[in-house]
Amino acid sequence: MRLLYEHPGLPLSFAGSVLAFALLAAGFGQDQKPPASADSSRVTFTRDIAPVVFHSCAPCHHPGEAGPFSLLTYGEAKSHARQIADVTRKRQMPPWLPSPDGLPLEDDAHLTDRQIALFEKWVDDGVPEGNRDELPPLPKFPNGWQLGQPDLVLKAATAFTIPASGTDVYWNFIFRSPVTSVRYIKAIEIHPGDKRLVHHANLLVDRSEAARRQEESPGSGFAGMELQIESESFDPDGHFLFWKPGSAPIVEPPGLALRLDPGNDLVLNTHLQPSGKPETVAPTIGIYFTAAPATRFPVLLQLENDRALDIPAGDSSFLVSDEFQLPVDVELLAIYPHAHYLCRDMLATALLPDGSEKTLIHIARWDVNWQAVFRLAEPVPLPRGTKVSMRYRYDNSSDNIANPSHPPERVRAGNRAVDEMAHLWLQVLAAPASGEARDPRMVLQEALARHHLENNPADFEAHYNLAAMLEARGVPEEAARQYREALELRPGDATVENALGAALLSLGQLREAAQHLYAATTARPDYFDAHYNLGIALASGGAYARAAEEFAEAARLKPDDAGAEANLGAALAELGDTNQAIRHFERALELDPANRLAKENLDAVRKASRPN
Amino acid sequence: MVHAQKKPPALLAAGLCAAILLAPLAFAGAAAAGPGERSFAEDLQGRAVDPLAASPGRVVVLLFVRTDCPISNRYAPAVQKLSEKYRGRANFWLVYPDSRESAPEIASHLEQFHYAIPALRDLRHELVRRARATITPEAAVFDGARKLVYHGRIDNWYEDLGRARSLATTHELDDAVTAALEGRAMVPEHADAVGCYISDVK
Repeated sequence: MRLLYEHPGLPLSFAGSVLAFALLAAGFGQDQKPPASADSSRVTFTRDIAPVVFHSCAPCHHPGEAGPFSLLTYGEAKSHARQIADVTRKRQMPPWLPSPDGLPLEDDAHLTDRQIALFEKWVDDGVPEGNRDELPPLPKFPNGWQLGQPDLVLKAATAFTIPASGTDVYWNFIFRSPVTSVRYIKAIEIHPGDKRLVHHANLLVDRSEAARRQEESPGSGFAGMELQIESESFDPDGHFLFWKPGSAPIVEPPGLALRLDPGNDLVLNTHLQPSGKPETVAPTIGIYFTAAPATRFPVLLQLENDRALDIPAGDSSFLVSDEFQLPVDVELLAIYPHAHYLCRDMLATALLPDGSEKTLIHIARWDVNWQAVFRLAEPVPLPRGTKVSMRYRYDNSSDNIANPSHPPERVRAGNRAVDEMAHLWLQVLAAPASGEARDPRMVLQEALARHHLENNPADFEAHYNLAAMLEARGVPEEAARQYREALELRPGDATVENALGAALLSLGQLREAAQHLYAATTARPDYFDAHYNLGIALASGGAYARAAEEFAEAARLKPDDAGAEANLGAALAELGDTNQAIRHFERALELDPANRLAKENLDAVRKASRPN
Repeated sequence: MVHAQKKPPALLAAGLCAAILLAPLAFAGAAAAGPGERSFAEDLQGRAVDPLAASPGRVVVLLFVRTDCPISNRYAPAVQKLSEKYRGRANFWLVYPDSRESAPEIASHLEQFHYAIPALRDLRHELVRRARATITPEAAVFDGARKLVYHGRIDNWYEDLGRARSLATTHELDDAVTAALEGRAMVPEHADAVGCYISDVK
């Protein structure tokens, strides 16, 4: 056992590090205490301190990285020696939120008690350098792309300027992807810009250009602490794309990959901190593709109870909890606990069907500044029937110095920094359930949406997601009912009007479908899908002239869409405008030579127009 | 933190000799030099300057800063603003206690952070001792009679390293300068600063 602790970098289990402390504390104590003058008793930089500093501090504390000063030499460490002893004793550095009582995590940055004691003693000993022969080799920190030259590099269109002073800033950058076919992403390396300014960054795939609508002008980016991207279809890709200081880019394990479709945007949500002088940030992302499409699809399970978040001003211990029973077997891959400034303590547990309980993660001193995605050292199986719980405690008193309101104010759920959140995201791989033909991901998502609706019947997203899944599994009546519930919560919402219209269309309720689709085009005139679907509804009802107008508008909005051209051709053919119809069929085939609708209709029109 | 209030015996020798004599006294814990003491630092041209000897009768504020201390840097706009608020009434000086920071490095630091406050290099920590400074950033306010009336944090923005309020709710330096200008005593005379330890640098 004891040998283990000679390697400060080794991730140790909690039990192990406690034992190490006990052994070494004895070592520092009366048993082996050599005379104070003996050099072997003094903690020296080269022998004792450098191995810890190089392993645990230098990854961020070197030029170009996030640390505000370098810790690569004796002089550099010495000029911050007491500070290092102080911040390590308080466990503020290295930043690492989880307590050791949860699941073993990748890149666990905890220092052992022995390592912390070394820094204290080094200062007490007068920060001696020691024998230079004992200095371990300097770690190598490659410049530039850690994973090699990316297949695709995207740079923020517009840099963002952080003011010299003020509170933290949250800014979103949109990267427009130039891919022209479906690609699979193996890894994304995020270069957030000056790493001293960026506290963390979260990258999301926007499959519906939803984020663009928040930009004042194309490429300008937009403000906001939370990024909410409404997906218009059930999206099975559940990946965390997270950057924090010192983190290495993640290469997805075999079988896992992130799908990127043409027209998708990548949106980077950044948390920025003023440095004292005006600074500009222009992030870059490097994308690494793989030829192998994904074969395993993780799901992001979200436990939350934002509805229960209504914290009275001054309340120093407000509890929010949620519990969800897994409908299928899963493997837990990663955990992303999320709250804002008032949260103090986060606990996530799993009660297994055999009655045993696991602490998934425990953060006893939450600090929004050091939030992170925590990947498990090994996937952890959680069988069907496991109850996953979250218990978050909030302090809305003035004793909580992170409280953004002074004096404290009543706080509810929301996206602003002064609002709160109670979210626990779990990345899981779902296993097929026995006797269940459905994709386990769908089973999981449907159960989750229903669970969210139990917590909060007014959960717009849950109604919408449940509807999308019901539609996907072929229950359009129930889907339409859920879309209607969503629509009642957000009357006139273009996305829901379109989805409800499409569901009614598949139920053959053409008149009502057209009404909702029309409402979608009025709410958002540049909404391609709504114009397209409205065209289909009108054409199905025989209103070809109006249908042709809608298809023409759709084709104008997306000039490279073969479907819109083919349908426009069909409507024109019905109206007897054969020449124009042929032109659009041909255009559709130019865009997509395999377009069946255009091919068959073109043949039919030519046959009909051929003189006998 | 307890500070010895005992005044050291008045020193006869002025200038650099005083520095040599002061050093052991600082270790004895009686850190503050009394009014009439001379404490020299260097300006960026290498000239010896005693910021407490210039413009007698004027309130003097020393701000201990460091180019590589992130908290010290984050305070730059607030410090600059305070110096502007009291322009013509109190003399503000930036004091760099880390002798490894060269004059050109400091000049570039002033420019980057838009400081318009004269800077001094406190190579022998004479001002550090006189102001009882232990941290960067830390402020020291001397009244017109050169009595140290306040030393410590600028405000309570930072509670601890890595733990900051979104905005400060107390403003000790501002209050201390106002009190000194009005001839009132500042209460408290000291509040612990949060930042980088001056004892880590020579």
